[in-house]
Amino acid sequence: MWKIRKKLYGVGAVLLIVAATLQMTYIHPKWRKDYSPEAGGLVASQLSPEQILLQLFGFREFLAGILWVRADGFFDAGNYDAILPIIRVCTILDPHNIDIYATGMWHIAYNFTDQEQRSNRRYIPIALALAKDGIKNNPNTYELYFETGWLWYQKIDDNPSEAVKYFQEMVKKKDVLPAREDLLANAYFRDQKIMTGLNWYFHLYKEAIARAKKDTFYANSQIRDTLESNIDNTIIRMIQRGYLAQKRNDGSYEKGDYDTKPPFNVGFSAKVTVVRPRVLRVTGTWNVLPVGCRIRFIVRDLHYPNALPAELDWNKNDNFNFNLPTNLTYMQDQLFCKDQRFDRVENMSKDPTMYPFDSNHYLLEFFYDPAFGAPHIQDKFGWNGVGMTDPNFLNTQIRKGVRVIYATLELSKDQILMRGQWQNRHATVETSNFKESSPTESMTNIVKVPSLRGN
Amino acid sequence: MGAVWNIAATTVGEAIRRRVLLVILMIGVLLLTIIPSLSVLSARSDDSVTVGTMFAVMRGTSALLAIVLTVYMIPNEIERRTIYTILSKPVQRWQFFLGKYLGAVLSLLLMITLMTVFMLVVYAIFQNHHASRLLSLAQQPVMYWIEMSLLAAVAICISTFVTPLINIFLSFGVWLVGTVLNPLYDTIANNSKSIPIMKSISKLIVSLVPNFADYDTKNPLINPGQPIQNQGLYYFTTIFYGVVWIALLLIIGALIFDRREV
Repeated sequence: MWKIRKKLYGVGAVLLIVAATLQMTYIHPKWRKDYSPEAGGLVASQLSPEQILLQLFGFREFLAGILWVRADGFFDAGNYDAILPIIRVCTILDPHNIDIYATGMWHIAYNFTDQEQRSNRRYIPIALALAKDGIKNNPNTYELYFETGWLWYQKIDDNPSEAVKYFQEMVKKKDVLPAREDLLANAYFRDQKIMTGLNWYFHLYKEAIARAKKDTFYANSQIRDTLESNIDNTIIRMIQRGYLAQKRNDGSYEKGDYDTKPPFNVGFSAKVTVVRPRVLRVTGTWNVLPVGCRIRFIVRDLHYPNALPAELDWNKNDNFNFNLPTNLTYMQDQLFCKDQRFDRVENMSKDPTMYPFDSNHYLLEFFYDPAFGAPHIQDKFGWNGVGMTDPNFLNTQIRKGVRVIYATLELSKDQILMRGQWQNRHATVETSNFKESSPTESMTNIVKVPSLRGN
Repeated sequence: MGAVWNIAATTVGEAIRRRVLLVILMIGVLLLTIIPSLSVLSARSDDSVTVGTMFAVMRGTSALLAIVLTVYMIPNEIERRTIYTILSKPVQRWQFFLGKYLGAVLSLLLMITLMTVFMLVVYAIFQNHHASRLLSLAQQPVMYWIEMSLLAAVAICISTFVTPLINIFLSFGVWLVGTVLNPLYDTIANNSKSIPIMKSISKLIVSLVPNFADYDTKNPLINPGQPIQNQGLYYFTTIFYGVVWIALLLIIGALIFDRREV
């Protein structure tokens, strides 16, 4: 009897070794790769004990759904801060729920605004980190590539190569909507890849014709007609803006009569006055008469970490977290130009948490990039600003291949907060060429915006 | 082997007649019925929420059934002294033990099959999917059956040396630990701040405790479209892993039961 028992102990030990070996060498790595809900890990923070139990018993999607409904309630109540941790928990519980990622990104990037409806752009790296996480967990659908590309294209409104990168991935996916695909061409134009953009239009047009033939559904013919119109416009613009002549590089641009010639002097100048503590009045000149130009205006810490000319390094976060740099100030707004001037009051006094002004020195940046301008303005300035100049602030260094307008001024903390020696004084800083102007001044230097019809 | 099958068949009959098991099964089925109404929790991912929650309900109900079914099996026979009439016949103790376990496994198969059929009917009515989708969903309950057979082996093994009440908590605890093993291990192993000794301990625990999380393969079913290679091999290996653990637990249980005073 003892012998049998001894044998059974031996068999048991062998079985244990077999089970442990199987588990560690094949089953666990395979489960991790193919069957784990990707985000993995135990989500303990932000969950109540009963919610943790629900998660442990496999009710992840159910719990994510409940939390998402709760987040909706917070959204309706305007309690935006409460939504952030819920978004994160929901994406960990159900990392394949595209809606949570897409809505979460939009919410983080767009909805945290100050009293003047200016977005808190310090949140943008967080939104991008969420986007990267979403793409990692859902690489086979076009949606999050589209959402991320759109964030770069529309919200960040800079670094067009990033939008191109995401839209290129978007169009590779099988489920991409045909109506979304032409965004890639627009991103190419901003990225100065005009011919690539046109070729992409042609590629889509060919597909659209085939689709419209196969299925007479109205939207199919509408997409085909839109693409045809876009191709026509692009070719005309390439000719009229002298793009093709420049590409030939045979002197024909210099000799020819193109809309972008001669370069128009935008005559930029600016003055910033502190009218009340944390309230700046920004005025200046901009010779362009037609409306449609918006100059980017930024107030930020002089030594803001990861700051680049007229922007931040938005891509710096790879891991999603809510560590907002609450001690740093970054305000960005658009100065609307009308009647050859701009005049705007930037009130930062109502949102001290968003604009803490902890540092001692601040940089004021003015920036205009024609690559992101309105098409009717681009008809004069060109895609790359070849038709635009300025004797003082034209810059060809800070954005590769594009002529932009870039100017900076500085203010100290005491000046902005009107304290110390500035307690009863209004600090004013201005560009060296600044000249007071009014909307009624003469309009001799009017930019002539060409019409696509040629008259 | 005839004695083993006779005991197993009797055990199945007893299980079907036990009211507590029928009540648990009924609650599970009722929950499965109301789950499609939860799809409102997600506008576009309603299918994910429905399927995910249905599987979670099925898993929870099956685990409860497995534990309640097996913890009382041998202690009840001893308490009612019915074991004497069986062991007085030419039946070895290990045969009795194995027969009881096989009866429990067959009862679980019956109950899980019932829940699966009910789940698929409800799903087909509310979600209106093709037969191929329904067939693919039927894979997961098979894995749950293996998982619950393993849990039943844990419970029947423990029942040879502790009282049923303690066994309920012990078995449930083992299942809970085994269920969170994979994510727990990943959390520790992938955390750069984890000290090496913790990583080694977690690896040892993952190796030495039956891992129930391996049978939770619902993720690709909830989120279809992700290509998985060698799915059949994974299923085969995990089933084999389960059989190895079951054999180990039954050997331990039979050895203890063999020496026990009844």
